Amino acid sequence: MSRIVSEKSLNNKLREAFNGNVTVHIENNCIRVTGKLDNWDDIIKACRMCVSKDKNLHVVNDIQLIGSKIPDMRLPKEHSKELEGERPDVLIVGGGISGASIAREISKWNLSILLVDKEPDLALQASGRNDGEVHPGIDLNKGSLKQHYVLLGNRMFDRICEELDVPFKRRGQYVCFSNRCLYPLIAAFAWQRKYICGVKDTRLVGRRELRSAEPNLNDEFSFALYNPSAGCVSPYGLTIAYAENAVQNGAKISLNTAVLDMDVKNGQILSVNTNKGTLYPKIVINAAGTFAEDIAAMAKDRFFSIHPRKGTNSILDKKVAHLINSIASAKFIMKQKKTNTKGGGILRTVDDNLLVGPNAVETYEKENFATDRSSIEEVFNKQKKTAKGLSERDIITYFTGVRAATFEEDFIIEKGRKTKNIIHCAGIQSPGLTTAPAVALDIEKMVIEQLSEMQQVTRKESFNPKRKTIPILREMSDAERTRLIQKNPDYGVIICRCEEISKGEIIDALNSPISVPTVDGIKKRVRPGMGRCQGGFCMPLISQIISEHENIQMHKVNKSNTDSYITLGEAKEASL
Amino acid sequence: MKELVCIDCPNSCQMIIEEFGDEIKVSGNLCKRGVEFARRELKNPMRTISSTVKTIFPDTPVLSIRVSNEIPKDKIFDVMKEINKVVITKPVSVGDIIIENVLGLNSDIIATSNIF
Amino acid sequence: MKDYDVIVIGGGPAGLAAAISADKEGARVLLIEREAKLGGILKQCIHDGFGLVRYGEKLSGPEYAQRFIEEFHIRNIDYSVLTYVIGIEKTEHYTVRVVNTKGVTCYRTKTIILATGCRERTSKQISIHGTRPSGVFTAGTAQAYINILGQMPTKKCVILGSGDIGLIMARRLTLEGAKVCGVYEAKDSPSGLTRNILQCLEDYNIPLYLSHTVTRLFGEDRLKAVEITKVDEKMAPIFGTEEIIECDALILSVGLIPENELAESLHVEIDPRTKGPACDQDFMTNQAGIFTCGNALHVNDLVDYVSESGELAGKAAARYIYKDREYISIDTDNEFLYFLPQKIHIRDIENEMTFYFRSNQVLKNALMTLSVNGKQILKKKYRNLKPPEMETFKLDISQFKLTGDDKVTAALKGENP
Repeated sequence: MSRIVSEKSLNNKLREAFNGNVTVHIENNCIRVTGKLDNWDDIIKACRMCVSKDKNLHVVNDIQLIGSKIPDMRLPKEHSKELEGERPDVLIVGGGISGASIAREISKWNLSILLVDKEPDLALQASGRNDGEVHPGIDLNKGSLKQHYVLLGNRMFDRICEELDVPFKRRGQYVCFSNRCLYPLIAAFAWQRKYICGVKDTRLVGRRELRSAEPNLNDEFSFALYNPSAGCVSPYGLTIAYAENAVQNGAKISLNTAVLDMDVKNGQILSVNTNKGTLYPKIVINAAGTFAEDIAAMAKDRFFSIHPRKGTNSILDKKVAHLINSIASAKFIMKQKKTNTKGGGILRTVDDNLLVGPNAVETYEKENFATDRSSIEEVFNKQKKTAKGLSERDIITYFTGVRAATFEEDFIIEKGRKTKNIIHCAGIQSPGLTTAPAVALDIEKMVIEQLSEMQQVTRKESFNPKRKTIPILREMSDAERTRLIQKNPDYGVIICRCEEISKGEIIDALNSPISVPTVDGIKKRVRPGMGRCQGGFCMPLISQIISEHENIQMHKVNKSNTDSYITLGEAKEASL
Repeated sequence: MKELVCIDCPNSCQMIIEEFGDEIKVSGNLCKRGVEFARRELKNPMRTISSTVKTIFPDTPVLSIRVSNEIPKDKIFDVMKEINKVVITKPVSVGDIIIENVLGLNSDIIATSNIF
Repeated sequence: MKDYDVIVIGGGPAGLAAAISADKEGARVLLIEREAKLGGILKQCIHDGFGLVRYGEKLSGPEYAQRFIEEFHIRNIDYSVLTYVIGIEKTEHYTVRVVNTKGVTCYRTKTIILATGCRERTSKQISIHGTRPSGVFTAGTAQAYINILGQMPTKKCVILGSGDIGLIMARRLTLEGAKVCGVYEAKDSPSGLTRNILQCLEDYNIPLYLSHTVTRLFGEDRLKAVEITKVDEKMAPIFGTEEIIECDALILSVGLIPENELAESLHVEIDPRTKGPACDQDFMTNQAGIFTCGNALHVNDLVDYVSESGELAGKAAARYIYKDREYISIDTDNEFLYFLPQKIHIRDIENEMTFYFRSNQVLKNALMTLSVNGKQILKKKYRNLKPPEMETFKLDISQFKLTGDDKVTAALKGENP
């Protein structure tokens, strides 16, 4: 079938569906959909209709949304010339799991690396707003980049987490079925996944085995698809660990730094303009998550589109962690929208909370992380069928993340098509956390290959793959704990009563390689405020510790962003 | 006839007050404090306030204080202005007078905690 | 390992009273407190009204605490501050593992009194949605900032929930120059004491809106506004009644929950109505030698009762001798929000017993009766019962010579206005 024919038939279909308001044009390297619609879901529908089987052709959404304004990217408030004139060999745009893991892998080489992120900390968008599952790849069929990398990535986790000193647990995953009649079908599916797709750990477990492993799941489940290789990790913990290891090995990280535009001539990025000055990188890596399309556009290399999809997860009190020992979800017979990533489930996190969710809702707001009651109700209504005893009453907090999906629902990991010195690591959604270690290695290869054409690139002799984390005192033996406390008595002062976090651990976080002296920055690194009181008792103490350690007034201590101040100054302004 | 809730103690008696010239008749009260409360409340309502004063001590940036006796309700914010002028520079014990006879209202501002 | 008769966990009003009272009985007592100073939450409750029942005076929280702290020190009772209990193991007695600046230490004890107080319900527990800016505080956290650290948490705020701390904070913030736009309560009656509605809100012209709740937060960095919605009888938001109020803080006073994580780790039975341990008249839980008191047992509205329960628990723990107890439980009807104690141990009954209860709803001219095998043994009349206002009474139960076959019931009747 020639391109012209398919374009014609596509346009016919679009005309029928959208009254002639949408047209498609198949270009050299993309499928451009244009027109005007007043409903975002229709725009998604139109673009999905245009998805091609040709893997090199991505849908670019140029349909204008009428009646609503797509919000601009939120920008940091700071402006400086701090980075003016810097000439890094590699500029990584985005401090999520992709950017951080790439920075770490490239730091094996004698190259100057600069990673920028517009947020005040790493992993503040999708990488910090997901369930932390290390996927086995059971839900993916052969042929996609996702599937290719998920198998590679999953296998790397034990080593990476050991090197980076990040807690990781292979808890295993059960996808449960009630209807016994489905058994032959699922058995065939499991066979295909195991032998054709290479998900080698796949097997079916019967009711008895399932009950003994997970006694609190729905009694109606008669069998389950089981993958012991599934695991969990703290997604922001891993991102921070990767970034810290990169910094230890010479990479530079600049937070609150947004890429604003680029100067591109003759297929070459000459300079990159940020709120902290103009940079002159040799290679740019686009790891900008939901903004990857915007970065590609700045680089004049936009051949794909991102359609943000948000999902909400709830975190439950550790008291109910015993309900689930692994990662569990249920499959009931209903027509699932094929295009969405895996539906929600229940996961026991590496920190022994239960995490319930997520749902999936298309949105044009890339940074609307607001939660709403209906999302939580939707998820709970579904997941109560997975585990009896699951209750909204045990929720201690909830959060929303926005996935950076392409219309093809696959990753884009390749060099620029029109612009030469950019590498895209885009469309990274679930299982992007699992795939990151493997993707980073491939991007490292691409970078080295490309830079080697321009200069001699040598390995860094001093590269140290090991990163040491802040000691977790609550997990130590009494003797070990006492030994540390005797060296540093601050380790004996408990600040966060719910999570048993000491003052010493908080000060360690403030002294860590990428110190983010905000309440949320500390919380992401050592967990105070993550417990059931949600910081009610410890927040004033933590503000005080930050204020003393950073030598700033208390009202200058922020929750997260600049202007997210906690107090407004002294209550009493009297002076002597 | 007026309805008043006595706030003198947590019983929160709902009282009915009948006025006969200068005399009042109170019903609904559980104790005689209700009568006193009603009499005051009708003529010159009195309240207590608690607050803090600034100190120079980093471990105790503010010291808690209160009025030793009730003050007229309409003087509350005037007294707050006086409280807000104070800075404690020396150790203080519970009960120490911080401002004597504040604004001549026959009430002291006293410390309610210690600074050692 | 050091040996004690009684270890009290928590150095607030309940724990201090318990330790003093156990010491008076001649027990070897250790009190463990996780903060740097004794006094518990009273340190930040600088408003007055404490001690009316006990001392007939209107003390502030720190002053009330100071009276106990002084007696505690005069008695030379062992204590350890900045010390956190990391675990309790049941051996022949109990082993309490603590951590402090010296390291991990273990103590052995015959009995433990859990005086761990309570914590506040958070915005997430009442399902507040929207963005996640700074400026959302529980009332107690706001109180710590202003009263302990001397920092203003707000210049213009909305208070959600009419619990006592919320009402107290409304006045406190107003005195310090902040504007309180209003106190919003999802229920159709206030949660706090009437006197606090009057002296904290009405005196300062702060409006109270019943049957309203906060349904959404706005602001990316600092809170910019909240959405208020009316709610129906079932507390479900009524669509179309939304109103946006600009403010820089939302202060929550939406309930307190007894802290019983240690109790749960010891398999102490928790009463779903009080959310504290079920106990007998000695304040002993279902675990032999584990006692409870104060706000860890049930959320009190007056500190005087917190101290009282501490004293009773302290005395009972000091006199405790391991013996199987025989219990009869007290059956209560649905008009009670809760009734304490949940059970009576019937051997060796000493002295009179103290009871605490709250009604489930506002009742006028109520009658509370206690019966044994259907025969009334006590009748008490109340002009006005309200869920926020706890009632207490004492009764010498030994006169009834209870046996394991007897049925004790408590009933409550009244007019629903």
